[in-house]
Amino acid sequence: MSFLTPFFLFGALAIAAPLIYHLIKRTTRDRTIFSSLMFLLPSPPRLSRKNKLEDLLLLLLRCLAVGLLAFGFGRPFFRNTAVVEPTTGQTKRIVVLVDRSASMRRAGVWTEATNRALAQVRAASPADQVAVYGFSNQAAALVSFEEWRNTPASGRTDKVAAALGGTGPDWGNTRLGTALITAAEALADATKDEPAAAIRQIVLISDLQSGAEISNLQSFDWPKGVQLKIESIKARNVTNAGLQLLVEAPDAAANSATAAVRVRITNAADSGKDNFQVGWTRPGSEAFVGKPVDQYVPAGQARVVTVPVPEGQADLQQITLKGDDEPFDNTVYAVPPEKQRVKVAYVGSELPNATTQPLYFFQNFLKGSETPRLAFDLTVRAPGAVAAEDVQPAKVVFATELPAGAVASELRSEMQAGKTVVFAPRSAAAAAGLATLLGVASVPLTDVNVGVPAGTRATAGSGYAMFGDIDFRHPLFVEFADPLYSDFTKITVFKYRRLNLDSIPGARAVARFDQGDPALVEVPVGSGRLLLLLTTWSREDSNLAVITSKFLPLLSNMLDLAGAIPDQIMQYTVNDPIPAALVAAPTEAVTVTPPDGPAETVAAGTTSFTRTRQPGIYKLAAGARTARVSVNLDVAETRTSPMPMDLLERYGAPGEAKQVDAGREARREALLQSNEAEGRQKLWRWFIGATLVVLLVETAIAGWTARRNAATVSTGGTTP
Amino acid sequence: MITDPQGINPVAGGFVDPRALMSIRHLEMRAKVVVEGFWNGLHRSPYHGFSVEFTEYRQYTPGDDPRYLDWGLYGRSDRYYIRKFEDETNLRCQLVVDRSKSMTFGSGSITKDRYASTLAATLAYFLHSQGDAVGLLTFDERVREYLPPRHKLSHLRQLMLALEKPAEGKATSLTDPLDHLVELVNRRGMFVYISDFLAPIERLEASLLALTAGRHEVAVVQILDPSELSLNFGAASLFEDIESGKTLYIEPAAARKAYLPKIAAHNTAVRRTCEKLGVGYVQLTTDQPLENVLFNFVKQRQRRGRANTVSRNPGRA
Repeated sequence: MSFLTPFFLFGALAIAAPLIYHLIKRTTRDRTIFSSLMFLLPSPPRLSRKNKLEDLLLLLLRCLAVGLLAFGFGRPFFRNTAVVEPTTGQTKRIVVLVDRSASMRRAGVWTEATNRALAQVRAASPADQVAVYGFSNQAAALVSFEEWRNTPASGRTDKVAAALGGTGPDWGNTRLGTALITAAEALADATKDEPAAAIRQIVLISDLQSGAEISNLQSFDWPKGVQLKIESIKARNVTNAGLQLLVEAPDAAANSATAAVRVRITNAADSGKDNFQVGWTRPGSEAFVGKPVDQYVPAGQARVVTVPVPEGQADLQQITLKGDDEPFDNTVYAVPPEKQRVKVAYVGSELPNATTQPLYFFQNFLKGSETPRLAFDLTVRAPGAVAAEDVQPAKVVFATELPAGAVASELRSEMQAGKTVVFAPRSAAAAAGLATLLGVASVPLTDVNVGVPAGTRATAGSGYAMFGDIDFRHPLFVEFADPLYSDFTKITVFKYRRLNLDSIPGARAVARFDQGDPALVEVPVGSGRLLLLLTTWSREDSNLAVITSKFLPLLSNMLDLAGAIPDQIMQYTVNDPIPAALVAAPTEAVTVTPPDGPAETVAAGTTSFTRTRQPGIYKLAAGARTARVSVNLDVAETRTSPMPMDLLERYGAPGEAKQVDAGREARREALLQSNEAEGRQKLWRWFIGATLVVLLVETAIAGWTARRNAATVSTGGTTP
Repeated sequence: MITDPQGINPVAGGFVDPRALMSIRHLEMRAKVVVEGFWNGLHRSPYHGFSVEFTEYRQYTPGDDPRYLDWGLYGRSDRYYIRKFEDETNLRCQLVVDRSKSMTFGSGSITKDRYASTLAATLAYFLHSQGDAVGLLTFDERVREYLPPRHKLSHLRQLMLALEKPAEGKATSLTDPLDHLVELVNRRGMFVYISDFLAPIERLEASLLALTAGRHEVAVVQILDPSELSLNFGAASLFEDIESGKTLYIEPAAARKAYLPKIAAHNTAVRRTCEKLGVGYVQLTTDQPLENVLFNFVKQRQRRGRANTVSRNPGRA
């Protein structure tokens, strides 16, 4: 028999009470009124000898009642099945996850984090398996499980101390969700061959700033049995304001960067200060250059400030905030944007001012697409005058007539290297070089006249063709996929070139005319492509050029597809990749000079430089071309006020309340089983019932004895 | 047992059983029953012709105030007698009765208080019927009621009423009433002091001495319950002091050994004090007939009265 609440069995000690009661022959209940106590001395209570226990039956009944009551309250039950006993002596698997994000640079925070991590390591028993991970943008093992295992128990703390001492907070933002997922997966991987009951724990040591990124925890399915213990570190100083560089939109009307820069000052919710100064500074100097801007920012709010560039100091690159306690997020780097020039080649024999011809519309399109930071250098060549030097530097080549001979071959090799050529043949005859360009024997094209433009004299036919079957999944048309924009019926085509698709291997019709003939064909050539538009936007061929809602996006998409419009990102955050294409062609190597380190080389063929580990100005150079890029701290990192304690739990992390201790789990399981067995058997009812019966019997016997004694006294005549 | 200094055993004879007597509710009726029983017993007894103080008559001589002529006697004897010296010769008796709460104790049906009240009433009735003046002083921890000695029927009624009041005193002061009386009474008289004397008696002698020094005649009647003399209780219990409410756990069988010598010594001390001062002392238990007390009282008075009569009025009729 087992007991659910065995401590109630101590109540059985109350059996001593009736025993003593029966041993002491002192009937304190009887009172005798007497005239005066002046001649009386109190009699001491008399203990009966053991062999003179009186009313043995009553004593037994009373003891029995007490005992039964204690047993009843002990909630007895018979253990039918083997209850899981709590597992003891289990080894633990612990991942100590130390926050290394930029906010940990605050005074005293990293030291505290190191101490907490070492305390965790010291608390681990030699049999425990511990790994120490550091994280900011991503988590990486500082001491892996394997390293821990291979290190003697006496040297483990030193190893972790050395690993933590050799590192420190970096400039990354806090991707807490990613780090927790990495740690949980590391635990799951390390313990997949171990019994499920093994204790698996993640100890998170972090300042838990509200800027931490945890949204990806929502979709993460936590491995069963992993518990999360949070060691939250409080910063000594709570006043923190951060700077964020605001960049102008790429198509902003005026280039204001040369005159002033706008920054946003964000003051933390728990800040104690609200007056700040912002101004330009030089590297290594704290003094403002020129007059700083004073700004009042209440705690928890943000203000946008325009910081004018001092007269004659156009080379200034950094803006500094003063007035708060923590300097780590007080500097932003601003590089005045440079205008990018994109070369575009046009091959055709039209006159630039022929207002119905494709060149005229194309020129206007390019002019309209220019922004303060983007300009197009258009080279127009007649098919006979075009040279390899004309098409080589161009990002994209538009043609209404194709060159022949060596230039066609050159163009083909450019395409194979990745270039895009858009060819809209003016006529079947203009496509003489197409076979050479595509490297096939011949591409038969025939002119089709389906009608004449309105207002012109009819020469042949009377109808028009329209774009019929369009593949809206193609990048050229994906923007039109919405039914709101997918109506191409306004475009009427009077002349087009009929192409037999089978003559070009790999060609794909992206759009067809309603007659079923291909209208736009994409032909991959090497790593580049040829876009073959089987009509033109000259007014003689179609009204495409005047349907601007379709024409301009279509040409723009063609430039995009060709990679002619570069990314116009004006600032990067730490750990963002910087595209090498800013300064170099894909085939060129780029030299990147970080703010504090030696120059690094990005090999040819690598698209970006990824080691942007700290904020500052990065210089890119490829040959004679150079660029400066500002890399700033992630603005989320400046939100240093602590996040709500239950936020992680709300995002599904096994919070401290839900922490699952494997040993405790087993004990809980055993308790549940006991509860269930006890609830089913309900033996306590029998014990309480028996207690009541015994008490009834006891009352009856005691009453009978009392009456008998009273009768004896009254007949004994002891009262005078 | 009566501790009778005269050595007379009055239990013999057909006296009224106290229990039967106490069943009479009316105090005056009880007194009457005792006194009449006493008179009846007296007719059969050899002690004839005595009284407390017989009224004295003087033959009328012209010039006497005719208001004092005893017309009743004239009717019987056809001679004029004047009760001229009645006032001088009448006894003035002051009954001093303990009404403290300890007197309400009674192991049987009779409490000491009821017994004492009946005794006092009996004496008062008897003396009144003799034409003597009777007063009453009741006390507990202090003097409660004082009625000066008078010979009036209404006064007797008042006295009976005072005796019928319940005893409520929380303590007993044996000397306070005596000291009070010494101050109040300056004419010679008799004092009958009725109490259980279950209180400290250190100052009792001094107070009694003050009375006897005033040439007052003092009689002490100690009334006890039989169980107070024997402590014959059965089982052990908490004994509660009837006055103070204090409790003690007492096992009578064990406590009796120490109790009996103490109570005996106390009673002896009271008796010796009385003897020393020439004060009559009678100890009664509530199971004794009251006529005995009256008998002893009258006998004591007779002896003393004879002496007085001889010394003071040699030519009394």
